[in-house]
Amino acid sequence: MSEKLSPGEARAPGHSYQEAIKKDASEPPASFLTESYEFLGDADIPYSNYTSKDYADAEFEKMWPKVWQMACREEHIAETGDYQVYDIGELSVIVTRTESMQIKAYYNACMHRGTALKSPGDNGFCESFRCPFHGWVYSLEGELIDLPEDWDFPHVKGDSHNLREVLVDTWGGFVFVNFDPNAEALSEYLGVLPEHFKDFNIDDRYIETHVCKRLPVNWKAAEEAFMEAYHVKETHAGGAEFSEPVTTYDVFPENVNRFIHTVGSLNPRMPKAPSQQELMQMLWGRRGPADGTCPVVPEGMTARDVYARVVQQQLGASYDQDFSGYSTAQTLDSIEYFLFPNLFIFPGLTLPMVYRFRPDKDDPDYSYFDLYFLRPKHPEKQPPPPPEPLMLDIEDSYTQSEGLGFLGAVYDQDTDNMAAQTRGFKTSAKSGQTLGNYQEVRARHLQQRVGDYLKK
Amino acid sequence: MSEIIHEPLALNSSEVLELEGESVLLCNSGGSHFAIRNQCTHQNSPLAGGRVRNGFISCPLHGVRFDLSTGEPRGTLTRVPVKTYGVRDEDGMIVISN
Repeated sequence: MSEKLSPGEARAPGHSYQEAIKKDASEPPASFLTESYEFLGDADIPYSNYTSKDYADAEFEKMWPKVWQMACREEHIAETGDYQVYDIGELSVIVTRTESMQIKAYYNACMHRGTALKSPGDNGFCESFRCPFHGWVYSLEGELIDLPEDWDFPHVKGDSHNLREVLVDTWGGFVFVNFDPNAEALSEYLGVLPEHFKDFNIDDRYIETHVCKRLPVNWKAAEEAFMEAYHVKETHAGGAEFSEPVTTYDVFPENVNRFIHTVGSLNPRMPKAPSQQELMQMLWGRRGPADGTCPVVPEGMTARDVYARVVQQQLGASYDQDFSGYSTAQTLDSIEYFLFPNLFIFPGLTLPMVYRFRPDKDDPDYSYFDLYFLRPKHPEKQPPPPPEPLMLDIEDSYTQSEGLGFLGAVYDQDTDNMAAQTRGFKTSAKSGQTLGNYQEVRARHLQQRVGDYLKK
Repeated sequence: MSEIIHEPLALNSSEVLELEGESVLLCNSGGSHFAIRNQCTHQNSPLAGGRVRNGFISCPLHGVRFDLSTGEPRGTLTRVPVKTYGVRDEDGMIVISN
C-alpha cells in the first residue's frame, strides 16, 4: 500500500469489480459501472449503539416513526379486503386494499378505547374492521360505519372517529409506510433506486419463500453482517486462500448503499491464474447439478459467461421463462442494494433475496429477520399466493426451509457470528467496533443515518 | 362414526352441512376439500360466509384465520383450534366423517 494514499483510497489488490465485468461478453447495466464510494470517517462505532436500551429507545422515538419502511409486498393485499399488519416497536399499522383497489394504511387501534383491531403480524381478509371489544365497525376506507348503542355517543360526530391514516406508497411491488405525516415523498426518499432497478422489473416478481427468524443480535449489527463481503472468506469459505470476492462498495445519497461482487471470475490475487476450464470446473463443483457434465469453455470465452448461459437455461426451464436477456453480471453476481433503515433487495437472477430487519421492541440484543426469495413472474401464468412465513426461533436452523436450498446452511453460519458478537460487545476491553474504510463503509453509512435522525 | 356424502364444491367456496347434530363447514380451497366445525373459537360465531383462500378460512366477524387442514388459528384473538373432520374423495364425491 502506498503511503501517499489518503484514508479510504486503498483498494484490494488487482482489478476492480467494474474492470472485471467490462470483460463479460454481455453488457452490464450502466449502474453497475458506476462507482460512488465516499470516505465517511474511521472513528470506532460505540458498542453502546447496539447494546444501550436508551439508544434503542431514542431510535424508536426519533427514527422509526420518521422513515419509510416496507410493510409488505403488494401481492400480500391483492384483493379488496386483504390486509397485512406491520409492527415496528410499539407502533402497528394495518395495510389494506379498499373497495376501489386503493392501498390504505391505518393505525391499528380502535377509535373507541384503543383496542388493537388486528393481531401483531396478522394477515387475512375482512369486509370491514370490527373491534372485538365492543363491536365498533370501520369500512375498508376507514370510516366508522357502525357504532353500537350510538345513543350514548352524541359526542362522536362526523368523521371524528374514523380510523387515522398512515402515509403509504408503493415502489417495485413493495408497500411502504411512514408514520410521519410530513415525511418527504417516497419517490424522493428512494434516491437512485428506481433508476438503478429499471432493468430488473422488481415489481414483476412474486414471493416464492418467506422465512422470519428471531436473531440474537441488535438489528443494526444484524444488517451490518450482510453489508460486506469481507467476512465471506472466513465465515463461509473456512478461510480458504483466494476466496475473497471482487467487490464494489457504493454509497448514494441519502438512504441507499450497495455492494456487488463477482461470482465465477478470476481472483486477481492468485499467483497462478487457473485456466477458464479449471475455473468452470470449480464453479460446477460448487453450484452445478450433481448429475450434469461440466460444460467445455470454448476458446475465447470465459467460464463466467458460459456458466451464466447455463444458469439462465436451468432457471428458464424451472420457471418456464426466457432469461437470456439478463447480462452475465445480472445473472451471476451478488447484487445487494440497501434502503435505509432496514430493507435489502437483491435484484439478480441467481440470488433473488429480499431482507427486512426489525428490532425487538423490548430488548436491543434481539431482532427479527424476514427473508424472502422473489422470483420473476411468468408473463401469462398466475403466480402462487404468497406463502405463510416459516417462523424460526434463534436455535432453529434455516435449513428447515426447503426453499432456501444450499443458502440455509450459509445463513446459519451468519447467525453463529451474531450471537458471538452480542456477547463480545458486552465484554470487550475497547469501547467500539473498528471498521474497514472501504469494505465496511456501508455499516458506517447505516450508523451515520441513524445518528442523523437521533440528532434531530 | 358417521359420514355425509356431498358433491364437490366450487373453487374457494364453502357450504354448511350437518353431521350428527353438529354444524360442519365443507370448504374447497384451491381444489382441495376440508371440513371444519362451523363455529369460531374466538367468540363462537359461525364461520360460514368467511373467505376461503390458500388453505385458510377467515372468520367473517373479526377475521381470525384458521388453517383448514389442522384447525389451528393464526394471530392472538384465540389460541383454541377449531375441530376438523375427515374428508376423502370417493368416485368423484366428497365423504365427510367424524
